[in-house]
Amino acid sequence: MASFKGKVAVVGFGEVPTGKFPNRPCLASALESCRQAILDSGIDKNEIDTIMPTGTFYNRRYNTDMVFSKLVEELGLLGKAKSNMQVFAGGSSSSSMLKTATGLIHAGLAKTVLCVQSDKTGSAPVQEMIDLFATFGIPEEWETPYGFFMGGCGSLFATRYMSETGTTHEQIASVVVSMRKWAALNPNAMLRRELTLDEVMSSKTVATNLTTREGNVLADGGAAFIVTTAERAKDLRNPPVYPLGFGGRVCHYGISQDRDLTRLGFAEAAREAYEMAGITAKDVDIAEIYDGYPIFPLITLEGLGICRRGEAGSFVMEGNTWPGGKMPMTTNGGMLGQGHTAAGGGMAVFVEAIRQLMMKAGERQVKGAKIAVETSMGGTFMDSQVIVLGREIP
Amino acid sequence: MTGNPVTPVKEYRKPLPTMTRWSAPFWEGCKRGELLVQKCQDCQMLNFYPKLYCAECLSSNMEWVKVSGRGKVYSYMTVYAFQPTEFAEDLPYVVAIVELDEGVRMMSNIVSCHPDEVHCDMKVEVVFEKVTEEFTLAKFRPAERPEA
Repeated sequence: MASFKGKVAVVGFGEVPTGKFPNRPCLASALESCRQAILDSGIDKNEIDTIMPTGTFYNRRYNTDMVFSKLVEELGLLGKAKSNMQVFAGGSSSSSMLKTATGLIHAGLAKTVLCVQSDKTGSAPVQEMIDLFATFGIPEEWETPYGFFMGGCGSLFATRYMSETGTTHEQIASVVVSMRKWAALNPNAMLRRELTLDEVMSSKTVATNLTTREGNVLADGGAAFIVTTAERAKDLRNPPVYPLGFGGRVCHYGISQDRDLTRLGFAEAAREAYEMAGITAKDVDIAEIYDGYPIFPLITLEGLGICRRGEAGSFVMEGNTWPGGKMPMTTNGGMLGQGHTAAGGGMAVFVEAIRQLMMKAGERQVKGAKIAVETSMGGTFMDSQVIVLGREIP
Repeated sequence: MTGNPVTPVKEYRKPLPTMTRWSAPFWEGCKRGELLVQKCQDCQMLNFYPKLYCAECLSSNMEWVKVSGRGKVYSYMTVYAFQPTEFAEDLPYVVAIVELDEGVRMMSNIVSCHPDEVHCDMKVEVVFEKVTEEFTLAKFRPAERPEA
């Protein structure tokens, strides 16, 4: 089968502000994101034949509504939409959605796919969300009895990584400084105040090599994007953004079963994605990297071949990933800056990659960005997903 | 610490393992002071945590074997705050991924030492902690005779 490269394109996106909005129903976030994406692309909404809502954590009933075609009804696509299907992989859902949409369109099984995410983990009952994230993704029999919890993930990864590479805690924490610099330029971000390294390091200690300000904050949010054929994209408003390569590895369910917490699967995933795209790390203009905790962008920068092993910490600390730096990274501010909206953390990073390549990123626009590498991770950082996106076909 | 038979055992309030029928022998082993893992009789792969079928070859022909209980800390975290509610009185406590000499990894706690003494690759050995009549947890402490 011929490659999908140049045959499929992302043509529009929408996003509501991330934050705590107790009076904004989750459905409103989803619909506003869909509406923005449709208007942004200029496509007739009746051309959408596949609706792909990813999973929502805060409320099972709402999630079931998404599975059971609520959006098809709201968007007036009854009798027109061929499928409503949930594609869900936690934080890496955006990668799975794009992969699925690309495959369906390239195979002729769909023409125009609307991918959407919405969640409300920021204003749901606090104790419920704490309990949810204390237990989700943690093997109940083999890890929970020892007091492990999702919020501690950053610590276990960072500690081993520091031991193997000699990276310092300050270097890891400098990722938060980078994220907040970008978030300060992002009107949709929740945490828009810049932080100094000292402020990050001196905040309350959660666990070994992990402070409070190295943790992400739960938030409400929503985003959507539209994928269609490159042929159809020609007549639409935005410069099409082409998926050029995909790579991925799933490395654990329970964190204790991962064979290498300092690398995960990024090197293999990046090799696949680069090869498919026909690029190397040197061709990357912008790195939209999933964070969650500051250790992950360091592991990812090395897996992507942007930094050598053990050098990502100093690379970030020297300001190379900041606005104006030589490798702009996670330009929406990531979950550490924009906020953590469950599966939306990865969605926001993906939408930012599209926004940058469409030259719509406002104050934080990276001039001349043509090739973006974008990553995501789900669960307790179970998988390493890499996507290469471009304004042009290399 | 000396046992005092008059002191009533405090009720254990922390989450207990959710046992399955294929993991029950592991927990029975802990009660006897034995650390057990499954060994596939077809491909010789050691499986931990316990699996219904061998994760390497999907065989159901697995037997329980006793392992040394010795290993080293792969990574660890000392928890100081934001822990699950039930662990509040344990703060600070050490969660670790221990790699056994036989190669399998398991999550546990490092006990019987000051948290600041724990480090990656530290040699440890299993110690069994009876928490209820039904469950004894396998925890780890610094190895008594660390190799030079």
